[in-house]
Amino acid sequence: MTALDPERKRALFEATALPLTTALYNTALRLTGASADASDLVQETFLRAYRTFENFSLGTNCKAWLLTILYSVHINQRKRAQHAAISLPPEELDALLDQDAAGGAGGDERLPELDERWGPEVDSALKELAEPLRAAILLVDIEQLSYEEAAVALGWPVGTLRSRLFRARKRLFATLEGYARATGYLRKAVRPE
Amino acid sequence: MTRHHPLGEEIQDFADGRLTPARREDLEAHLATCPQCARELERLRWVKEGTARLPMHEPPPDLPARVAQALDREDRRGSHASPLRRYLLPAAGVLAAAAAVVILVSRGPRDLPSAVGRDFAAYNRAALALDTASGDGPALERYFTRRGLAFRTRVFDLGMMGYGLVGARVHQLDGRPSALFAYRGGDDRTLVCLMFEGSLDELPQGGEAREHNGIEFRIFKEHGLTLVFWMEGSVVCALVSDIPREDVVQLAYAKAVKV
Repeated sequence: MTALDPERKRALFEATALPLTTALYNTALRLTGASADASDLVQETFLRAYRTFENFSLGTNCKAWLLTILYSVHINQRKRAQHAAISLPPEELDALLDQDAAGGAGGDERLPELDERWGPEVDSALKELAEPLRAAILLVDIEQLSYEEAAVALGWPVGTLRSRLFRARKRLFATLEGYARATGYLRKAVRPE
Repeated sequence: MTRHHPLGEEIQDFADGRLTPARREDLEAHLATCPQCARELERLRWVKEGTARLPMHEPPPDLPARVAQALDREDRRGSHASPLRRYLLPAAGVLAAAAAVVILVSRGPRDLPSAVGRDFAAYNRAALALDTASGDGPALERYFTRRGLAFRTRVFDLGMMGYGLVGARVHQLDGRPSALFAYRGGDDRTLVCLMFEGSLDELPQGGEAREHNGIEFRIFKEHGLTLVFWMEGSVVCALVSDIPREDVVQLAYAKAVKV
């Protein structure tokens, strides 16, 4: 986008980016776990996006662009909070995620429909995921980004995104199946004679 | 038809509509006869549908107003010089008028700016870790020497410009040993500096060439980042950030020395 005069830039930003506040807030809330932190994260995301709005190509996926900024700000804030400049090498991180994705063999019972009433259970299961696995679910399954858009937003190769998404879904299945079993929602499948 | 069970991730590709038509047909035939894989697909879809139907939470009522106020402040800030510019611009302004500005138009095959930009982006996303966390510049210079870098490094003190040193790593930039050190400023803004042996002649054509205090600077723009290159002896210095372009340039002007 070429340089815009300030009023035009503000109007365009308000029309293009701000309608995505709810989507950004929900992702932020599920990343941070607290409403106040999520609000701060969304505000900072919009501010960064506004400063660099000239870099955004109109007509491309604004939500993907904003979520890229949001995740980058979140990671930086988390690093600062933990005073940790050193992150795990990718292979060690994936080994940890493997542990997190273990389980979920499951039986052959009929699965209940996961409608909106299961929201609290799904949210709770998401919270139990390691953050990289949760981020993959948030961007692909909830915000409906393509693998390619989510991989850019998270700073991973597409293959890593695919693999972590699979682990995340396996782990979510195990947790949700556990909830369903504990509450008596799993029923033995009826097999034809 | 697939005789062997496909990998779980391939079943996921099926569920997400990412297979080629031929592979999709092949897998469909397998799924029709394999309860185990059909069950795996059912589970993946169950989770996928459950998360897609997750209710959305309403943002706090005051959030739109908070965002609007932050944008208002940014608009006002944009109409004034930043504190960094107020600090650096007076001297630079006079010299900038005399600076030779050459706009070049094409790119060569060797693209160091892209490599530096990628490393900055990787660091910013926490995908590139620092070896050591320290705000002590001289200690980091000794660290680079201990780690065997064959050139002298100069870790800048940017404290007066509002940027604190975070740490450093011995890095491979485009296959060559380099010193990478990072800074963090207000608003969580990041600056990264890289030093490596080489020459400005290795840079591709393109960007902008300026001269300041007898030092040649090459300035590139890459995906919203500003990259400033200059030489100190046999060492190429690169400063990169997503802060406003002139702020990066002024920081480079302030810290570059003629060797």
